[in-house]
Amino acid sequence: MSLRVRQTLVRVLTIQVITLGLLWLLQLRYAR
Amino acid sequence: MHWLNWVIVGLYLVFVVWDGLRRTKGTTNIEGYFLANRSLPWWAVGLSVMATQLSAVTLIGTTGQGATDGLRFVQFYFGLPIAMVILGVTLVPFLHGAKVYTAYEFLERRFDARTRTLTSLLFLLSRGMSCGAIISAPAVVLSAIFGWSLSACVALIGVPTVIYTVLGGVQAVTWADVKQMVVIVGTMAAIIVVLVLRMPVPLDDALALAGATGRLQVFDFSFSLSNQYTFWSGIIGGTFLMLSYFGTDQSQVQRYLTAKSVDEARSSLLMSAYWKIPLQAAILLVGVLVFLFYLFEPAPMLYNPTHDRAVQVAEPAVHAELTQRYDVAVAAREEAARTAALTRAGGDAQATSAALEAYRARDAAVGVVRAEALKAAGRVTGQSSRDVNYIIPRFVLDHLPLGFAGLFLAAVLAAAMSSIAAELNSLSTATVVDFYQRRVKADGSDAHYLSVSKWATALWGLFACGVATYAATLGSLIEVVNRFGSFFYGSILGVFLLAMIPRARAPGAFIGLLAGMTTVGLISWRVPSIAFLWHNVIGAVVVVAVGLIVSVGRARTLEGYAGPRA
Repeated sequence: MSLRVRQTLVRVLTIQVITLGLLWLLQLRYAR
Repeated sequence: MHWLNWVIVGLYLVFVVWDGLRRTKGTTNIEGYFLANRSLPWWAVGLSVMATQLSAVTLIGTTGQGATDGLRFVQFYFGLPIAMVILGVTLVPFLHGAKVYTAYEFLERRFDARTRTLTSLLFLLSRGMSCGAIISAPAVVLSAIFGWSLSACVALIGVPTVIYTVLGGVQAVTWADVKQMVVIVGTMAAIIVVLVLRMPVPLDDALALAGATGRLQVFDFSFSLSNQYTFWSGIIGGTFLMLSYFGTDQSQVQRYLTAKSVDEARSSLLMSAYWKIPLQAAILLVGVLVFLFYLFEPAPMLYNPTHDRAVQVAEPAVHAELTQRYDVAVAAREEAARTAALTRAGGDAQATSAALEAYRARDAAVGVVRAEALKAAGRVTGQSSRDVNYIIPRFVLDHLPLGFAGLFLAAVLAAAMSSIAAELNSLSTATVVDFYQRRVKADGSDAHYLSVSKWATALWGLFACGVATYAATLGSLIEVVNRFGSFFYGSILGVFLLAMIPRARAPGAFIGLLAGMTTVGLISWRVPSIAFLWHNVIGAVVVVAVGLIVSVGRARTLEGYAGPRA
């Protein structure tokens, strides 16, 4: 796997982890 | 609607058409007309990819779904970033590097003409009809809300789009998409700000009210083949669906074929990988906030005004009785919601739990009366009474400050037009490149093909507007075509996957494609409980398996046959 592909994967993963993490926190705090 | 709102809508329409006409640079040959001479920057292509996928149904339907069902629909998109990364390292370099005009052209180079013809024909059939459905969905809502005829609403959406797509080609489509995405995202952000500012209770307590009714339940980790929206169907089924859509559907492939280089094409797809899930979550959140807003403001019993009037006229006694019960139920729910919010602010956990329970019961009571009203609307009109698509438009028109209704209408038109324009452009490309140039006239001049391409775009536009106008009567036909479409979406992906396996041969690809479509058709007929997201997985796997077996078997037969001769 080239460096560029790895960097891209890390960036995509970071944004998804932040988004899904926020949604997860929203669910933990407020969902029934 | 106030005249200022109409001025905003008018300015938007004039600007889009004028800008489209300005973008005819380089469209003197079909490479310019269909692929912008492969010269566009990644960010414009990326926004175009996102705008094409985001249709008016997303703006009015998905937000409505957020209001009634909450955030769980976002799971549908969990496979998208994975699909984009896979496409970036597999199909994109193949397709961009092959210098093709259509994805199906690549299949002829790799396999044979019949595989190309069949896949392109399936694309034309399904996209032609779905383009009509994309115009029809917002047109039906506009027609019911403003009381205009359906054909006038279809014309409002269809005519400007056809004009700029025919005259400007892919350059006009892409640059219009860029502006349309700005209008859409800007409008949604502005609506979120207004909703938060207008919330009568602190946002923290308001979100607890949404959570109490299950609207903030995002993740469902249960494994069920019949449930469309679970984490696993999103991750697995969603990945296959997005691989099919972005990797093999000409309306998307053509977007990134216009990019300057393979790297720019890759970057344009990754823009969706980064932003699609956050954007979709924000769109659903708008719906949740509108649900919260209506807890404290009089919510319509039926959001479709035409249906409300129809029940009032046909069954006045029933309407009056339902309205009276609804008003009482809504008032009780508002009181329960305010009590729950106040109790929660007080910090007593046990009292908060009891107050939220009482509020849930009141909310369920509202739901019961509304279900009865919807049933009455269905009975009186003889149409589907589902009014999810009307929730956000009604909220925007009734409650947002001056100018917002115009901005929202412009955003709905932008969302519809960006999807339609890309589809018309790609329908025309497949018609001209895969059929006209390939089978009718192979030795035409560039000027000739350009002229045929413009005519093809215009005719597909006319066809889509016709389908949209008669969508109500063609309803079941459109459903049949969409179901038919879901039979082959995964199967076409399977053919492209086969194309990347060196051992795969042309007969294997064609027979595998037929086997995949037949299997999915049979499963859909015999086991209808399996959610459609899984159809794509099944179709792709069957095509690859059958395709490889046939390819290997045939290679052995040929070896056996060639052996004695050699």
